[in-house]
Amino acid sequence: MKALAAAALLVLVTGCGQGKAIFNVDIYSFMAGTGADTIPYVVPPASSASVSTFSRVQLPPGFGSSVVDSVRITIGNANLVNSGGTGTVGFSIFFASDSAGTMTAASALDIPPTNVSGTNTVPVPITGDLSPAIYSLFASDTLWMRIAATGNNSGVTPVTGTGILTALVIRVVLQDKIL
Amino acid sequence: MRIAGIALTLAALVLVPRAADAQLSFDARRLGMGGVSLGRDGNARRYNPAYRAVKNLSGGGTGAPRITIPVPLGLYDFFREHPINQLTNDPAFNPDSAAFNPIELLNLVLNPPVFLDIRKPPTPTNDIEFTIGKNQLIMNLGQTRVLIPDHSFGFGTSGRLVDMGFGFGGFNLSIMGFVHYDLSLTLDSALRSVLKDTVPVRPDSSYFIITDAIAQTGLTPTLSYSGRIWRPRPAIADSAPGRTAPNENADDGVYLGAAAHYYFGATYGRGVGPAGFTVGDPIFGVTPTMLFDGLVRTSNKPNGRGVGADVGIAWISGPFEVGIGANDIGAELTWSDTKIQRILYDPNGDSISTTMLANHVETKTKLPISYIANAALRMGTGTTVGGDVFNAGRGTVIHVGAEQRYGPFAVRGGVARDQRKKIQFGFGGGLRLGAFGLDVGVWTHSPSLSDQRAMTMATSISVY
Repeated sequence: MKALAAAALLVLVTGCGQGKAIFNVDIYSFMAGTGADTIPYVVPPASSASVSTFSRVQLPPGFGSSVVDSVRITIGNANLVNSGGTGTVGFSIFFASDSAGTMTAASALDIPPTNVSGTNTVPVPITGDLSPAIYSLFASDTLWMRIAATGNNSGVTPVTGTGILTALVIRVVLQDKIL
Repeated sequence: MRIAGIALTLAALVLVPRAADAQLSFDARRLGMGGVSLGRDGNARRYNPAYRAVKNLSGGGTGAPRITIPVPLGLYDFFREHPINQLTNDPAFNPDSAAFNPIELLNLVLNPPVFLDIRKPPTPTNDIEFTIGKNQLIMNLGQTRVLIPDHSFGFGTSGRLVDMGFGFGGFNLSIMGFVHYDLSLTLDSALRSVLKDTVPVRPDSSYFIITDAIAQTGLTPTLSYSGRIWRPRPAIADSAPGRTAPNENADDGVYLGAAAHYYFGATYGRGVGPAGFTVGDPIFGVTPTMLFDGLVRTSNKPNGRGVGADVGIAWISGPFEVGIGANDIGAELTWSDTKIQRILYDPNGDSISTTMLANHVETKTKLPISYIANAALRMGTGTTVGGDVFNAGRGTVIHVGAEQRYGPFAVRGGVARDQRKKIQFGFGGGLRLGAFGLDVGVWTHSPSLSDQRAMTMATSISVY
């Protein structure tokens, strides 16, 4: 990582000026196959429930003095593979400097609840600008992300299934002061 | 601070090859003519031994001043922006500040702000984009890609530090110090493709820069001769009315200069090898390993020996003069006691090992040949034109310029091709009152990260 960071620094040094440094980070590629890309959910009748998955996000170091202009999920998608029951499932994404902090942080992006019913797969797009409150986290080289799936069940049978992340690319735009 | 050091080093690698044509003179006259020297100044005497015999009896050849004193207007501008009592807290020099820019700082070092910048070259304003995935890394430098060198780049020079001696009858015995250093860097094709052509980084691949650096220094006793080997007979009576004044042709003739050097090398070192990193598979799933494998040759004792020569010839005929000279011809040093070591980074132990490959072995080195060719013509109507071709071992520089005098006033202009083979321009003027003159010269140059030219105004006072 340090060597790649050095390469990144070379690039940034040559690019010093008023331009922006833009990072398209394919977070899904780091999560795929680790289990962190799936969120099994079970929502009992007449109640709501929330389950989460945690991931560590690594960015090139050396951006401590940078000013983050914007952070946006440009490509994102999850499949809600429902196996029973009728209800809704929504997603919220949280960021913090450590995993525990994501439990108390305000959500950076909320995806409205999606209806699920019976045995069915429903695709859910996950895109949008993240809350400016968490911008400063992206100037560090490590941060944590929590994706929470919140289910609501007004029926009489449990809502069960799995949320499977299939794509997640975050675009971070910084003013390129690398030192 | 370590990152600051890395960034400054990388900035140096990018900037230095473009800084070779940095501040070339403090003489506003010369700068106003695109860098050409119409007089028999230091460069002509330094690189053409024949010029050492020219006595300047005709008044300094083409009107060169005895002393030139720069007027550093640029320093006023610089210290107005960066108050000297606040330099320690100045964001421009503080790596912890968001306003710190290593490019600008290095540019400042390589191009001291002695003269006034009329137009500063803009640093590239460009978005750069990274695409990062577990097994993906793409760098898109946008317009900045043009700054990635296609070929080897670096910096270096071959110079003489001191020259002390005595002589008689055109012969001179002296001792000089010499120094030669050269750093050459070459991006390997894979790294260049990644940086320049937006080619994705490949898993389990190496990316590196090939470094070749040499430095050697020592002393060289020198026996030289310079003299006028042919002098034309005056064709007209000195005192004939309307004829040429006697003093104007006093320097006429053909001059020859030669010097033989015996080099005593004091110390020598050379390092060659790749430095870079090897990425894993997947790229961000495995820690990359540093790649460093260098062969280093160093002298054990100050025992470099060798011979070389300088030669030069100059012809002065009234308003016309031409000269050509070369230094360090055939200069090869033999170091009879050197060692060769391999310095290798071991990723397993995260350590650097040094292995002696050979000791007390002989190594030969060369000094680069430097040369200058110059010509000047005074056209009799106050017009003087001239040009020179100069190479100090790292690229040829060509200057062509002219000066037109109207009584005490002078107008100047010139063009140059710098070491980057980029055309530069100069223009200026001057006012001479008796023994003193005030000169202004404006010239373009490309000293930093930009394809656009900067423009600087120099001012100097000349004493004739």
